Amino acid sequence: MNSLLDNTGGRNYPAALALAGALMALFWPHAGWYGILGALAFLAAGAYAWLQLSGGKSDPRAEVHDYLDGRQQFAEEVTPVWCRHIESSRSQMEDAVSELASRFSTIVDKLDETLRLSSAAADSQDGASLSRVFTQSERQLGEVVATMKSALASKHAMLTRIRELEQFTRELRDMAEGVASIAAQTNLLALNAAIEAARAGPAGRGFAVVAQEVRNLSNRSAETGRSISDRVGKISVAIVSACKAANESSAAEDQAMQSSEGTIDAVLREFRNLTDAMAQSSELLKQESVTIKGEVGEALVQLQFQDRVSQVLGHVSHNIGLLPSLLDENRRQYQHGATLEAPHANALLGELEKTYAMAEEHAVHRGDQKAIAAPSDEVTFF
Amino acid sequence: MAKTIMVIDDSASLRQVVGIALKSAGYDVIEARDGMDALSKLTGQKVNLVVCDVNMPNMDGITFVKEIKQLPNYKFTPVIMLTTESQEAKKREGQAAGAKAWVVKPFKPEVLLGAVQKLVLP
Repeated sequence: MNSLLDNTGGRNYPAALALAGALMALFWPHAGWYGILGALAFLAAGAYAWLQLSGGKSDPRAEVHDYLDGRQQFAEEVTPVWCRHIESSRSQMEDAVSELASRFSTIVDKLDETLRLSSAAADSQDGASLSRVFTQSERQLGEVVATMKSALASKHAMLTRIRELEQFTRELRDMAEGVASIAAQTNLLALNAAIEAARAGPAGRGFAVVAQEVRNLSNRSAETGRSISDRVGKISVAIVSACKAANESSAAEDQAMQSSEGTIDAVLREFRNLTDAMAQSSELLKQESVTIKGEVGEALVQLQFQDRVSQVLGHVSHNIGLLPSLLDENRRQYQHGATLEAPHANALLGELEKTYAMAEEHAVHRGDQKAIAAPSDEVTFF
Repeated sequence: MAKTIMVIDDSASLRQVVGIALKSAGYDVIEARDGMDALSKLTGQKVNLVVCDVNMPNMDGITFVKEIKQLPNYKFTPVIMLTTESQEAKKREGQAAGAKAWVVKPFKPEVLLGAVQKLVLP
């Protein structure tokens, strides 16, 4: 555009063409008045075209000034908007990732708390595991069952002794009956002795007294024998009744004992299943927790890329912000008489490069689009 | 008693990320958004270690390390620089200022924890 404006030959070419046309019309063979009129027409058209071209044009340097002012205004209006958008995006991304990190933090805290509670349930403070608690409970309940069995065995032994007592009472009754029989025989003998004493007359009087006393004794013996037999009978009835009651009680207790043993076994089995399930659940939770923590660790690495992106955007935003001052400097140089030159990209890119902190920023600047930072394993100790 | 670590970074999300890694290992964490904010929070506060970014507004990490080395209560507090800066010149600046270690972001949590466990004061 500058070359066209500065080209005076180009600006005057309508007049040259009009002059050439007028000369051709004048000197055309046999043109006459028509040639003169044609030459005037060519000259008028050329003058009009020359006026049109010359009349619409202002000073070229003033036009450049206008252009540079417009360019400056353009840069000063556009770049702040670009920068605001970049800063807004950075800010939104920062807030979102910060919120995301906060959620991760909550997840990790809850996971730790769940794991702690699970471990506390599986392991008591002194380190006794659920399995150990179960074994202890099983042993204590076994001791209770053994004590109950021992008590039942003692009861059975006592019942046997009571049954033996029943035998003894039978023997006592037989003995009492023996006493009564002896008393009856003694009474009969005393009666015979009294008869013989009466037949002996006065000589047998004393013997008759003895015989009477013997009869009295035999009667008392018979009475005592009956009394013993009667008492022993009552005792025997009582013992038989006690034995019957004890037998019935013993059978019920045996059944209750078997039932209790079965119930305790069932409870222990359920307890064992429960403790096994809790132990498995706790172990599974621990394993899952390790896996989740690993995943969270990976997520923490990925979240850090927001910081890197934010820094890169910050550098670019800052560099965009420098564009108006660079253009302004370019304009001022021209205003002070320097030759108009296009702004140098290197000036801006050099400033951008100075802000780089990351190796991949330099790589991307060089055009290496595959440069992506990997999580660092390296720590430099001083 | 849990050890206290101060985390200084102008990025809130980075402070959160570092905080998660440290808290999961049982450390208490104090956060500061730049060197100036960190100095204002240090007064009378027992800190066993500092994890500090380099490029921050108001007061950058290198200046902060120089400042903390002037404070009698904190001159021996170890500082780990945690930064995206990977240039050797910057590392040397950090070393000269008094930092004890240099970890480049993005970091693996176990790598940072390894450095913290090695340097944290009893």
